[in-house]
Amino acid sequence: MDSDPDTNGAPEPQLSEDELRLSYLSLEDSRHVPQGVRLERNGSLPADFYDAREDIKPDDVEASPPRMVTGGREGSSKGKIGLIEGLEMDGEAPPSPSSSGYAGERGSSGGSSGTVEAADGGERVLHDDWDKGKQRIDEDDTSASWRKRKKHFFVLSHSGKPIFSRYGDEHKLAGFSATLQAIISFVENGGDRIKFVRAGRHQVVFLVKGPIYLVCISCTEEPYEALRGQLELLYGQILVILTKSIDRCFVKNPKFDMAPLLGGTDAVFSSLIHSFGWNPATFLHAYTCLPLAYSTRQAAVAILQDVADSGVLFAILMCRHKVVSLVGAQKASLHPDDMLLLSNFILSTESFRTSEAFSPICLPHYNSMAFLYAYVHYLDVDTYLALLSTNSEGFYHLKECRIQIESVLVKSNVLCEVQKSILDGGLHVEDLPVDSSLRSGLPCPHPSQGRAGPSSMSDIGGPAGLWHFIYRSINLDQYVSSEFSSPLNSSRLHKRLYRAYQKLYVSMHDRQIGPHKTQFRRDENYVLLCWITQDFELYAAFDPLADKALAIKTCNRVCQWVRDLENEIFLFGGSPFSW
Amino acid sequence: MASRRRMLLKVIILGDSGVGKTSLMNQYVNKKFSNQYKATIGADFLTKEIQFEDRLFTLQIWDTAGQERFQSLGVAFYRGADCCVLVYDVNVMKSFDNLNNWREEFLIQASPSDPENFPFVVLGNKIDIDGGNSRVVSEKKARAWCASKGNIPYFETSAKEGFNVEAAFQCIAKNALKNEPEEEIYLPDTIDVSSGGRQQGSPSGCEC
Repeated sequence: MDSDPDTNGAPEPQLSEDELRLSYLSLEDSRHVPQGVRLERNGSLPADFYDAREDIKPDDVEASPPRMVTGGREGSSKGKIGLIEGLEMDGEAPPSPSSSGYAGERGSSGGSSGTVEAADGGERVLHDDWDKGKQRIDEDDTSASWRKRKKHFFVLSHSGKPIFSRYGDEHKLAGFSATLQAIISFVENGGDRIKFVRAGRHQVVFLVKGPIYLVCISCTEEPYEALRGQLELLYGQILVILTKSIDRCFVKNPKFDMAPLLGGTDAVFSSLIHSFGWNPATFLHAYTCLPLAYSTRQAAVAILQDVADSGVLFAILMCRHKVVSLVGAQKASLHPDDMLLLSNFILSTESFRTSEAFSPICLPHYNSMAFLYAYVHYLDVDTYLALLSTNSEGFYHLKECRIQIESVLVKSNVLCEVQKSILDGGLHVEDLPVDSSLRSGLPCPHPSQGRAGPSSMSDIGGPAGLWHFIYRSINLDQYVSSEFSSPLNSSRLHKRLYRAYQKLYVSMHDRQIGPHKTQFRRDENYVLLCWITQDFELYAAFDPLADKALAIKTCNRVCQWVRDLENEIFLFGGSPFSW
Repeated sequence: MASRRRMLLKVIILGDSGVGKTSLMNQYVNKKFSNQYKATIGADFLTKEIQFEDRLFTLQIWDTAGQERFQSLGVAFYRGADCCVLVYDVNVMKSFDNLNNWREEFLIQASPSDPENFPFVVLGNKIDIDGGNSRVVSEKKARAWCASKGNIPYFETSAKEGFNVEAAFQCIAKNALKNEPEEEIYLPDTIDVSSGGRQQGSPSGCEC
């Protein structure tokens, strides 16, 4: 990260009065950066912007040789773990502590590392067309290809019986699974809890959920918190299918083999793991809506509200992974993670597409112990309706509700509007309204870089070199993300950007020294800007040569733009479905 | 997750150090034998797929270290075992005497739901040594002990010559399977909206 040379007399943007109702990001004081966190005095005043270099805690687990970090007493069991053999990590030299504090995406950018991640494959633009189901079933821990995979996920029981592996056949990996259990249980025996192990460039992250153990082995350089969050979602997906009552099977019978109960759900887990690389909902803990005219969405809300009043707990109309409309019965609220897991379950289960279906499902944040019953029906190839009820015999009632809803949606043209919205796409950075102050009267952003001038900046991406942004509304639990456009035109680049955002997210929400208000980073790939207020979080990526003052100004524009469009891009429900 | 219905059986091998636990496993899984003694550190894990009565099984074999200093690993290793194999050296009386300790230690640590009927198998190894002339534990004595512990199946093996190893493991699989509880239907609760709907303290009635 090269810090912006912000001593060259950065202009202080003049704020117009009417923009002051929003909190505002400005360059004030950026020359005199205090060390540590500066708290904003008042949300309505201009936020002081400062370079966040000092706030980024050096990754304290990165610099040392293989090392174990446990819950209570860090590394207390070190040495004894050597009793257990079999977990052979690639014995590469640990990376040198990154002087940039942002080791970034060396691992995930591919090529240089010589490792493979199958889901990366090719330059797929659509995320929908990846191979569903288990990948590389023929591999096991003795295969070179298996060992080179950049990101493994395992689920096993507390007796070491394999439940799920992202790559390879679970039964062939029984020995590996046993090794993982031995490590976890060994540390547990000492009254401790293992959190992760660093081995060269690999990080092994453990998550123990009662009798179910989840492990991620990754060399993607994603932060521990991010990988742990992914394991939490993986566990949540298990609960969606089986509920937490599964724990009692283990109490009754420690030998319990859970894998058969999850039969046929490989695609659900593979799809979820795949989404860690493309769906920001997996780390933002928010959902996103399909952009629609306010009146169109309200029409959909109204009809869903009608059925919710007739005993349906949740009525959800979605298009791919975006929400069209959503209504909960009185006092029932739906957690964004539950929505993510539910929509992943529906989208990755092929049989839902072929006929109307009725399936028990669990929403872990709503009630992890018990099942709800979901009626799922695709209204067209992308749009589906999920009606959730507590009545296991509610199929015919829900079917009637669906018929009623469908006819209203067709009559009121909602489905056509949905299709139109898919074709139009969401927000494009190129369309960001630009006022005159951004267009003219500003110095050439980087004369020293030999660029032709400001115009070359706007040739690709949006104004001021804006490439992409995500805006998350905190009160609504919703986010809106701009569409990818040039130069971010491959799935590999998308994934790299999401991982950079994810890293930004983790560093902004650091439990010990955070949360932070603002962060500005520049590396060889992007300028990243993050701004968090009481109301929203903004993550923006710019051309790496973007001018800081302009970038900040552009972020203010983005926020204004999002607010101008909020009735179309967000769902404002009448019922309190949000926390 | 298996699409075909396969079963995974966790098998723990216990016995004094040097009785040939690792050699037995190597002979069984890899059809190899080495005269060189290499102490197992902690535990080794091997898998072997077998077919038994038209069903496919995966044996997950936990080859543990016999040395006392590793006994602290017990609980972690024994949990959820489907079968326990006790191995002794027919040429070393102490290794036979210790079978009782190994068995009891296992039952304490693993605390299986039905300890009386937990499937054990006893293997008397190294019957090839010195043409059987250095043998100190007679087959009769071993069988008597096995009979007294609830008719534990007994095999005399030679890991070196591969004698009886296959048969012993077939029996291990059979016994592990016999002990498998009846398949029950997994049926969690349904949410009861009238009592709030949201997370409850301890819902009742699991039929899993």
